[in-house]
Amino acid sequence: MTDLITDADLVRLFPGQPLTHDSAAHYRGRLERRLLINRCTDCGTWQQPPFPICPKCWSTAVVPTEVAGTGTIHLVVFLYQGPPAPGVDYSTPYPVATIELDEQPGLRFTSTVIGAPNDDIVIGKRVTLDWIDRAGTPLPVFRLTEGAAS
Amino acid sequence: MSTISSHNPMKNAVAFAGAATTGFVAKNSGRSQASLAAQACTDVIKACGLTAADIDGICGMVPSPPEMQTMLGIPRVTWFDNPVMPVVNAVAVATAAVFSGLCQTVLVYHTPYRLPWNTASSLQDPFRGIGMPAGSGPGPESIFGGVGYTAWASRYIHEYNVPREHFGLVAINDRSNAARNPGAAKRTPLTMEDYLSARMIRWPLCMLDMDLPVDGADAFIITTAERARDLALPPVLVNAVTLGMVEKNQEDQTPSLRNHGQQVVVDALRAKSDFWTDGTDIYFPYDGFTPITLNWFENTGWCGPGEGGQFVEANWNAEQQRILIDGRIPVNPHGGALSEGGSQASGHIREAVHQLQGLAGERQVAGARTALITAGGYFFNAQGLTLVSD
Ligand SMILES: [Zn+2]
Repeated sequence: MTDLITDADLVRLFPGQPLTHDSAAHYRGRLERRLLINRCTDCGTWQQPPFPICPKCWSTAVVPTEVAGTGTIHLVVFLYQGPPAPGVDYSTPYPVATIELDEQPGLRFTSTVIGAPNDDIVIGKRVTLDWIDRAGTPLPVFRLTEGAAS
Repeated sequence: MSTISSHNPMKNAVAFAGAATTGFVAKNSGRSQASLAAQACTDVIKACGLTAADIDGICGMVPSPPEMQTMLGIPRVTWFDNPVMPVVNAVAVATAAVFSGLCQTVLVYHTPYRLPWNTASSLQDPFRGIGMPAGSGPGPESIFGGVGYTAWASRYIHEYNVPREHFGLVAINDRSNAARNPGAAKRTPLTMEDYLSARMIRWPLCMLDMDLPVDGADAFIITTAERARDLALPPVLVNAVTLGMVEKNQEDQTPSLRNHGQQVVVDALRAKSDFWTDGTDIYFPYDGFTPITLNWFENTGWCGPGEGGQFVEANWNAEQQRILIDGRIPVNPHGGALSEGGSQASGHIREAVHQLQGLAGERQVAGARTALITAGGYFFNAQGLTLVSD
């Protein structure tokens, strides 16, 4: 279905995002609420951000592949001010977290964490992928994993 | 396999012949970057006893080298470049250009400028807003740019359980040093209470953890050591210069606080230099964000990982409210990026040159002959420079 979304549509739907021929599939995946990360089909290495070649074996058989969406908070900041965005109110400092995904050590994806007080959003906590709406397009975000030990 | 070696054929063969600055202000100066650069550049050329016709290389970002050549009426150049900051990059390529014979005498310059995204008040200058990219950025869910240092500050606190006061001491040291620098933008004393009550911008970093947007310019003449000896000011020799970067250098993919560009710089600069921490008279760690400074102390080998704050406390001169390592070695004596002004390291380099020329005024470190500069941050901008007096 998202094959029908043209490159021009993507640029319009994701203003300001780093769209290229190499990252377009990731953003098409967002429209289906699937978090796609590039993976080498020859050696299995995941890479982020998306480049057109595997950094380990130089294979160009790199395919955007859905991840499980589970991981651990590796970095976190709370923005007291920041760029304007629909639904983002900096009167409560806005969390931005880099999540280390379970697929591979050092493979990270950065977004926000929702549904928890800021005091609970700390490095080491387990998180699970969720989706919210940002100006009409799905945005991948994370929630703290219920019952998980930190 | 490591490609780092002590090979350094240009060691002490190339020199700074001089350095000049406009001084920095933390407000809209009402001047263009070209105006500020022209002042610093003509000052340094004259101070060295040179004329426009003696310059055959131009190296800087804004204004571009072609604009600079036209503006100053420099008749003919055989080399020019526009390297990205921090400014040790410009020093590295200018030094190599002189050593290789691409040119003989290079004008290097840098113009810190309050850009429209730095401060709300810089937007009030209509000329500054013109070039600002219209429309939206990628939104808040990103740690690219300056947010990356804040994110890794959270990791630093998490891994080593350090208090924010350790960052605060870096800010206070800079402010106490800036009090002795008439060209510094912020010179009023700073206390830990001031630091802890400063406005939070992005937890865990507050306003006083981040460098100060300023207007100003620095300029340098880099030439052969042989030629510098015939000019008006004492030469300062480039002992070694290096850049450093590792495979995963995006802000959120960087491997760890113990594996990024700074470790490469330290390995290479140490291998190529004639001295290290035990032989330097002044130390210039970058301070665009306070945790960068603590990381540099640790990675350079002044102390162990996570011990940067304790190292600062152990070398703190309470009377002067600043760091004096072993009671002797000042750290960013000009006031650094946090108080002199955010110069992307041009201020650090200019102060090092002036100190080794004996031209640092009331900040002069008596008998200073060596300076160690570790510029830039973690990701794609770590750099190092060692300088010695002739
Ligand atoms: Zn591969």
